Amino acid sequence: MMDAADSLDDLMARCALRDQRAFAELYRRSSGRLLAVAMRIVRRRDWAEDVLQESFVNIWNHVTDYSRAKSAPMTWMTAIVRNRALDWARRPKHETADEDLDGLIENWEDSTPGPAQRLVAAGEAGQLDDCLRQLSGQQRQSIALAYMHGLSHSELADHLGEPLGTIKTWIRRGLEKLRGCLEAGNAA
Amino acid sequence: MKITDPRGRSLLAAEYVLGTMTGRTRARFELWLRSDPGLRKEVAAWQERLEPLSATAAELVPSDRVWRGIAARIAARSAPRESWLGSLAFWRGSSFVSAIAAALMFGYIALTPRDHALTPDNAMVVVMADDQSKPAMTVAWTMQEQAKPRLRIRVIGHQQMDPGTSWELWMLPGEDQPPKSLGLITTHDTQYVEVPPEIKAKLDKAAGLAMSVEPERGSPTGLPTGPVLYSGKCLEI
Repeated sequence: MMDAADSLDDLMARCALRDQRAFAELYRRSSGRLLAVAMRIVRRRDWAEDVLQESFVNIWNHVTDYSRAKSAPMTWMTAIVRNRALDWARRPKHETADEDLDGLIENWEDSTPGPAQRLVAAGEAGQLDDCLRQLSGQQRQSIALAYMHGLSHSELADHLGEPLGTIKTWIRRGLEKLRGCLEAGNAA
Repeated sequence: MKITDPRGRSLLAAEYVLGTMTGRTRARFELWLRSDPGLRKEVAAWQERLEPLSATAAELVPSDRVWRGIAARIAARSAPRESWLGSLAFWRGSSFVSAIAAALMFGYIALTPRDHALTPDNAMVVVMADDQSKPAMTVAWTMQEQAKPRLRIRVIGHQQMDPGTSWELWMLPGEDQPPKSLGLITTHDTQYVEVPPEIKAKLDKAAGLAMSVEPERGSPTGLPTGPVLYSGKCLEI
């Protein structure tokens, strides 16, 4: 029997032993959040569900490799879903209308302190949120839009109305600052 | 791409995770990831760092068809044990077959009776292709026991090696075992690499081979550290 107390780690280990019931339970517990991750990137419900389905087949096929990854189950699964969603979103026929992107950008504009507060509201961002606050609004906005909504450098440039080089610099500097801040936090 | 500078590596890993690394660069980076455990760690660290951003969206409930599709697909496949090799390009049937066909066409795996070391009925052939499935070299050896086993390597076309680097050939044993070095090779059209009999025994059962770009004297770690240029699956013929 599946125990409610089984951790995701336990479920992953049982999946590696080809336990399909454990896999069903893993799906039940994680699919809601992972569908949201896919949805933000591909921005269409049926596409997001296709991405979710592909990702879970992938998770089942590769779960035997999981322990080597040395990351939390949710992190590992999220990476699989994001990868699949990014591939999907970048096939030309799957590109969404620009108005969709503009809507996203508008929600993120004036990015101090709106998005940071949104992160806090989720209650899980913790140290990442503290560190994101230390970035400039532009750096934070570019990184969050890229990570959460899968925007590429050129999409960011088009929609933020800045040159490509500027966007790349914001992201690069932002990432370096973020890493420095997170590592300092871990050491403390 | 700078692959040795730690800051550069971390930044590439970050842009890969973020998704701002796209297209061909992304594909190359993924190929490179397979042979570089340090870089995989860097990627995992960035996934861990940014993952809290994934928790900021409201959960959605997938429709029933999603799980039905998954259940049908995993039931249809009887416990496939795919390793990290599983996703290398050569594993996908059609490109692998076309790589073999192209190599045959160009005569690179012609095992003629005149080649005494390699008779057609007991040889292993590996067509090594680039990430576009274009054949770039072939490696062949006889399956019989020999006192001094050796591999015959043919490099297709005139290829250049960057100054200060070397090409290292790797056995991919499969089943998730780490690659094992078979030594350095050159860009010469035809060359031979001797292998110890115990390695040869493993080669006869290996999943595939790969070739990576390494510092001048070969990988300092005993594992591939540079990008994998070519890889291919072992085929008994």
